[in-house]
Amino acid sequence: MLSLTLGTMITITSNHWVTAWAGLEINTLAVIPLISKSHHPRAIEAATKYFLTQATASALMLFSSMTNAWSSGQWDITQLTNPPSCLLLTAAIAIKLGLTPFHFWFPEVLQGSSLTTALLLSTAMKFPPTTILLLTSHSLNPTLLSTMAIMSIALGGWMGLNQTQTRKILAFSSISHLGWMTIIITYNPKLTLLTFYLYSLMTTSIFLSMNSTNTLKLSTLMTSWTKAPMLNTTLMLTLLSLAGLPPLTGFLPKWLIIQELTKQEMTTTATTISMLSLLGLFFYLRLTYCSTITLPPNSSNKMKQWSIKKPVNTLTPTL
Amino acid sequence: FSWSSLGLAFHRTHLISSLLCLESIILSIYIALSIWPIKNQTSATLMQILILAFSACEASAGLAILIASTQTHVSDHLRNLNLLQC
Repeated sequence: MLSLTLGTMITITSNHWVTAWAGLEINTLAVIPLISKSHHPRAIEAATKYFLTQATASALMLFSSMTNAWSSGQWDITQLTNPPSCLLLTAAIAIKLGLTPFHFWFPEVLQGSSLTTALLLSTAMKFPPTTILLLTSHSLNPTLLSTMAIMSIALGGWMGLNQTQTRKILAFSSISHLGWMTIIITYNPKLTLLTFYLYSLMTTSIFLSMNSTNTLKLSTLMTSWTKAPMLNTTLMLTLLSLAGLPPLTGFLPKWLIIQELTKQEMTTTATTISMLSLLGLFFYLRLTYCSTITLPPNSSNKMKQWSIKKPVNTLTPTL
Repeated sequence: FSWSSLGLAFHRTHLISSLLCLESIILSIYIALSIWPIKNQTSATLMQILILAFSACEASAGLAILIASTQTHVSDHLRNLNLLQC
């Protein structure tokens, strides 16, 4: 855990490609035993997939920085002059973040890891690659980034429609949120940071509330209202906020992003992504429907099964 | 470098081959980075040692995962990694 923070700090405060790469490798190395802690076959398989994808992405990043250094003679992060190395770097960061078309590892890895590890994977591990994207965002290809972002929003919405495992649903929601983040990165990087912070806050509260009620499937969600009713209502509010409904906090980044896009005369893009976020809204609504509004077929009222092991944060979803 | 990345993308049955391709990617980067200062008369040897150390750590972590997956799954064939499908 400490080496994770160390690796993140190294990558954030780096102005040389090799230090950035070193920080990312430290992160990868530190997270792999966290994923494979339980010696379950699924966890080991998730660890293998994670390791392979992240290692190739790191190697690609190193290679792109090397070609850039060949052509321009310096190793600074903020000066990327060589177009092929920009392309390679975009591909490498897309693999690391889980953007489309390189998102295939992400749901399976989240499914195979425990809930707290999945939380760490989807919020903290996304932070260093996004900082690298932010640092290099003025020299990357905007059309490529926006096509990848639109595809990730679309795919995140579509593939989340038929899922019953909550971790996979959260994986697809994080893919679509990453798409929202990258679509604005070339025009206004501060909005990307804002989206990232709000998204990580909401996802943290969802993961932690799911962790304390131990819900891994939709059917478990339906009976979780007996264990801690207050937590269930706040979970519903947080899910709706993650979907981006207006009176809740999750609407703020979407509103600002759409405003910024229309300022840049990209109104078709803005309408496309708002239409596509309707797909995500469907499964968020289904989650809230299952968790709070309906009653399961056979259950008893106020069935306190076992006490909650860790204290529950009921206040953070109301942020 | 391109040969190694193609080999990594198209590995068929064994996980060991993908680990080998990863190592050859890093090795090609290392060799290229070693040749570059000689041609331009600069010196970047600290960078080289750092890259080498980190790639060795990555290789050992990959090997540990290989052993763990061979313990839990029966072999290291890629067709056995289908427990996490949708």
